[in-house]
Amino acid sequence: RKRQLLTEIVLRNRLTALVVDADTTCRVLEQLLLRSYGVQTQGVDNGRDAVTLIASGVKFNLIIIDMILPILNGLEATRQIRDMGVHCKMLGVTACSGESERQAFLAAGVDVFIEKPLDPEHLVPILRELDG
Amino acid sequence: MDLAALKTQLKNFVQSMFEEGVLDNQFSQIQALQDSTNPNFVEEVITLFCNDAEKIINEINRNLGYQNVDFSNLDSYVHQLKGSSSSIGANRLKLACANLRQASDERNKEG
Repeated sequence: RKRQLLTEIVLRNRLTALVVDADTTCRVLEQLLLRSYGVQTQGVDNGRDAVTLIASGVKFNLIIIDMILPILNGLEATRQIRDMGVHCKMLGVTACSGESERQAFLAAGVDVFIEKPLDPEHLVPILRELDG
Repeated sequence: MDLAALKTQLKNFVQSMFEEGVLDNQFSQIQALQDSTNPNFVEEVITLFCNDAEKIINEINRNLGYQNVDFSNLDSYVHQLKGSSSSIGANRLKLACANLRQASDERNKEG
């Protein structure tokens, strides 16, 4: 039953992900979900730290980023990361559910807009795609 | 009461929360994430969530207590609570947040 719920997949490659969420519960849960699939994760709680980390040269296959973040918000952080020439998959995972928010986040540079919670149904196909 | 009986009682209590819509499938996902490498994960994340949620709810109550409610400030707290409650599977709380945001949008303090 546990395996059915988690839609078990086996990744062939070692994938890495950065989770950017100010809310500890959300960040911890998203990181654990990724780790359950064998993805190595790092977490930061604000947009500026995310940009700084990427600017330092650390590479990720996947970035999960919330829209509302302290210090530097998710939209601006996403723009800055894209402006650096970083092309990795970015998922905007947010409690915002409006069409205008969705358009804004996509325009800022996320590839997919997901309303919280991040669940296996959305995540597994993306991990499969990244695994190649 | 012995351990087995306590475990049964807990299991029944959690089941009733699913049936009443207090919890949703997201909580099942979290239960499924608990394993031998994270044996107390569910308890830890619930504790984490409740501590943060309590602070947010206190702020929401404080904001609602003012003569002139700052709805945009209120909204940011409710938004945060909506995000974490949906992530942990606290379905009824998530719905309550959505209702509160709706009322807040309508600037309806009584709602």
